[in-house]
Amino acid sequence: MIEFVNVSASYDGELAVLQDVNFTINDGDFVAFVGTNGAGKSTTMRLMNGLLKPTAGEVLVDGVPTTQLKTSELARKLGFLFQNPDRQICCNTVREELLFGFKAQGAVDDQAQARVDAMIERFGFNPDDEPYLLNRGTRQLLALASIIVMEPPTIILDEPTTGLDFRECEKVMGVVRDLNAHGTTVVMVCHDMEVVGDFAHRVIAMTQGRVVADGNTFDVLRNEAVLKAAHILPPQVTEVSMTLDRDFANVPTSIACANTVEHMVSAVTQVCEGGR
Amino acid sequence: MIEFDNFSFQYREGTEPVLRNISLSIPDGAFVGITGAAGSGKSTLTYAINGIIPHCYPGDFYGAVSVEGYDTVDTSLTDLSRLVGSVCQDIDSQMVSTVVEDEILYGLENFAVPREEIPARVDEALEAMGIADLRERTIDSLSGGQKQKVALASVIALHPRVLVLDEPTAELDPASSVAVFELLARYAREHGTTVIVVEQKIALLSDYADLLVIVDEGQIRFADTPDAVLAHADELLALGVNCPRSTTLMNELAKRGLYAGPTVRNVAQATHALMEVLA
Repeated sequence: MIEFVNVSASYDGELAVLQDVNFTINDGDFVAFVGTNGAGKSTTMRLMNGLLKPTAGEVLVDGVPTTQLKTSELARKLGFLFQNPDRQICCNTVREELLFGFKAQGAVDDQAQARVDAMIERFGFNPDDEPYLLNRGTRQLLALASIIVMEPPTIILDEPTTGLDFRECEKVMGVVRDLNAHGTTVVMVCHDMEVVGDFAHRVIAMTQGRVVADGNTFDVLRNEAVLKAAHILPPQVTEVSMTLDRDFANVPTSIACANTVEHMVSAVTQVCEGGR
Repeated sequence: MIEFDNFSFQYREGTEPVLRNISLSIPDGAFVGITGAAGSGKSTLTYAINGIIPHCYPGDFYGAVSVEGYDTVDTSLTDLSRLVGSVCQDIDSQMVSTVVEDEILYGLENFAVPREEIPARVDEALEAMGIADLRERTIDSLSGGQKQKVALASVIALHPRVLVLDEPTAELDPASSVAVFELLARYAREHGTTVIVVEQKIALLSDYADLLVIVDEGQIRFADTPDAVLAHADELLALGVNCPRSTTLMNELAKRGLYAGPTVRNVAQATHALMEVLA
């Protein structure tokens, strides 16, 4: 569990980049942080993994303030995927990269090797490949694999789909969804609202260092006041249904509330076939 | 005019051509969107325009590429960079100064723009990108969106005839992404500049590009208006290119015989089309 209690933060000790932020992330949640560049999302992630300490308030991980935890202790609890995998990858082969976390903890044993082997098989990596010669999507997958091989109870993903093509995005997010289904808590910063709508169960919207909304994904993404305050756009189908609901009379509820292509197609089909 | 004439290229260290038999004409002032799966050859295509290929990355170069009539093999990289302004995917790797104004001055001074012209060029570029208030800010204090605008300003200050941008909105939020495309489109309209953007965000490309180019395994599969390209949604998906959800929605309704109108590419069109379906 991650708790932010009246948290403020600053990089230079003067300009507050986070102000009085409060939220709790429970075990097993899949939370997306959304908002404009500079809203404080990445700062919030850095406060979680201890790279930044609050100037006021407390960040608690499993009930313990991050100020009382070493970064290495936090790293066991929270796996962190950087936006740019090249800032994370540091070894000469895929196998070494996957073993890096175990080496850092002085725990390269048979169990570690077995976990690395399983990860190589799961992702279809060539263990002898040089990471920097892999394409961007595969490097992103490798960076993700090097985190989840350590089996942290929570993973924090800073823009996990940036720069990925559609297939790579589906592959990375499929792995993340599978992890969450098996109990891993997922915290994600994401600008792609289609990805947020497809995968996150809960959305925390931020603007100017403050939380402006925290709730179920589509409760937040259908709230016009929140969208305006956080300068975010909803997923396209959500925007279509909201526009229809707002601008036209007698739009059936099933259409006015649709958030996915499947739901909208189903609702329109029913209406057109006389179920109105 | 940018002309690819049966162009193929294989990097010296490569085992097969990255681009094969590319023939494409891009008229002056066009707004061109290039997309495709990772590794399809999109960036290499832009390197052939700004001269990085063959001047920086040697290899086997077949056919011809010309920009404004200048053959890119025979023209020096310096001369090409006066015609073609490029913005890299990784903005931080492009920045050479610590202060915004110095970043814009860097290119102007290196191109030996007459001293008396420089202040007006800096003002014009900052105004065009809407960042006049950032003139004295340090680069490292800027957000990703602000840096992107500074990189664009530093390039347009050089008055290039062609702008080449590799994933200019990758790290930007949706509102900033739209703002960058708006700035590009407006600048291109006002100055007759050809804009070539490599981008994964096909919804943005569909709304702004005159010509949408889909690259797959080193070949151009589609090069047409966004409407004409998006009409091939199933083929695009097989190439690893996903249509905007608005397009997918109306295509699914069309498959069920509930929609027979033209291809839809954005929320406004989908909303309008749905009202007709429900009427």
